[in-house]
Amino acid sequence: MKIDMVLRMRDVPGMLVKALDPISRHGGNIISVTHSRDEVDAVSVNVSFKVKDQSSLDLIRKELAKQRVHVFRIEVEGRKYYTKKSLSYILIGHVIDTDIRDTIDRINTIGLVSGIEVVMTSPKQKSSVLMDVEIDEKSDGAVREMVEKICAEKSFLLLRSL
Amino acid sequence: MRGEKLSPAEVAVKPKMKTVKLIVVGFGTIGRGVLEVLSEKRRLVRERYGFDLQVSAVCEIDGSLINHQGVNVDSALRLAAAKKLRDHPDWKQKKSLEVIREVDADIVLELTPGNIRTGEPGLGHIRAAFESGKSVVTSNKSPLAKSFYELKALAEKKRVLFGYEATVGGAIPIINLYRDNLGINVVRSIYGILNGTSNFILTKMFEEDLSLATALKEAQELGIAETDPAYDIDGTDTAVKLVILANSIMDRHVSLEDVSVTGIEDITLESLELAKKHGFAIKLVGDVGSMEVSPRLVHLSHPLNVSGTLNAIMLDTDVAGTLTLVGHGAGKIETASSIFSDILNIAKAGGCGK
Repeated sequence: MKIDMVLRMRDVPGMLVKALDPISRHGGNIISVTHSRDEVDAVSVNVSFKVKDQSSLDLIRKELAKQRVHVFRIEVEGRKYYTKKSLSYILIGHVIDTDIRDTIDRINTIGLVSGIEVVMTSPKQKSSVLMDVEIDEKSDGAVREMVEKICAEKSFLLLRSL
Repeated sequence: MRGEKLSPAEVAVKPKMKTVKLIVVGFGTIGRGVLEVLSEKRRLVRERYGFDLQVSAVCEIDGSLINHQGVNVDSALRLAAAKKLRDHPDWKQKKSLEVIREVDADIVLELTPGNIRTGEPGLGHIRAAFESGKSVVTSNKSPLAKSFYELKALAEKKRVLFGYEATVGGAIPIINLYRDNLGINVVRSIYGILNGTSNFILTKMFEEDLSLATALKEAQELGIAETDPAYDIDGTDTAVKLVILANSIMDRHVSLEDVSVTGIEDITLESLELAKKHGFAIKLVGDVGSMEVSPRLVHLSHPLNVSGTLNAIMLDTDVAGTLTLVGHGAGKIETASSIFSDILNIAKAGGCGK
């Protein structure tokens, strides 16, 4: 069966090879790979391949999860099979000064921060930061808990999307 | 009084009209709005329902108008506007609690502003009305948020009726809609924009780049915000309404302490700008599911994205699906619509006209 997968991963050397390895290792025959670097600090990779059955696909997904490669969308024979949910947050506070890298990394342990925009009027003022986070449907609660914990710790006002 | 007189022919053919006697407790903005609408619509009520609505008493803090044949509503309104209510021929030095207990009436309209923490003086008024066998219609949130289940049980025990449509969402008929028309549904969640003042402020900030302080000042100048708008801004008013919805529609047995409340005081213009750029508005949302009041990102195309002083309430139900009601959450005339909806329901249910 033909699989089209959209993967999201951090933009670091060697990441793409690491992501493709589980596919070929579990008998996937890769047809095409395209990637774009349009996200902040992340790349989006479209990969099409053929596998013999469902269990091979399951093994590949498991392996990708282990490698911290985020599967954003899967189509099987051209039909939607799985898609991630996208959430938006605005954080208001001293978001930059309180180690924004740490904030992103911690959210990334559950989901993937795929977009970020910062508005800061002056270094002393509070900044406003919008984050788009992609998550599995089932990690909705976990990511919310994580974001709320970070905001409480770092004294941010959190605005969740409805 | 407009539309007051029936022609002799009408008097001759109509059977004797049932009189529904009202005691109005609290003659501020809401109380006057109710009497203005009553004066305007008395004839319509007669023709549509066959009831004559009569005001037997109007209670103020320092005394009351009492007339067993009916207080002249127009002169009461006129004198109240001139701050000369004490000059009214029906003025008596009688306190509201005595009036509620002693004056013969079918329905007590409890329209005082309340203390959110204690529920008073409304709580005492409502208890006294029920104890003396009178039904109650109220716009007062505080007693309901404080003691909903106690009051409900007392009304049932005394076999009287209790209407509180006007406590949430002003003119929006959310509570009666649920009770009368959604009986087969289980309501899974309710969320909404329940405070007009904060919504007005957020709209002004979003659309005109005004600071919160300037937007608030404008709201006060327009008479939208109270002199003390603290509860509107810090989310408490929304939380109180959330508690009423949670208890009356979802039977959640919750109180104000169970709501996590974040207001709009820390919303910056930058955050609004950022939200707008990404297709969102920022709204103060009350969410019964999570028992939370907080500013949220609401998609510009979302039904809850209502502007100005409008309120909007969404019900997520298992059979009817999602329902959204949008309307004026405040205003004396708009709120009177909900108060009369309760009065007419009680009158139709046969609780009046002895």
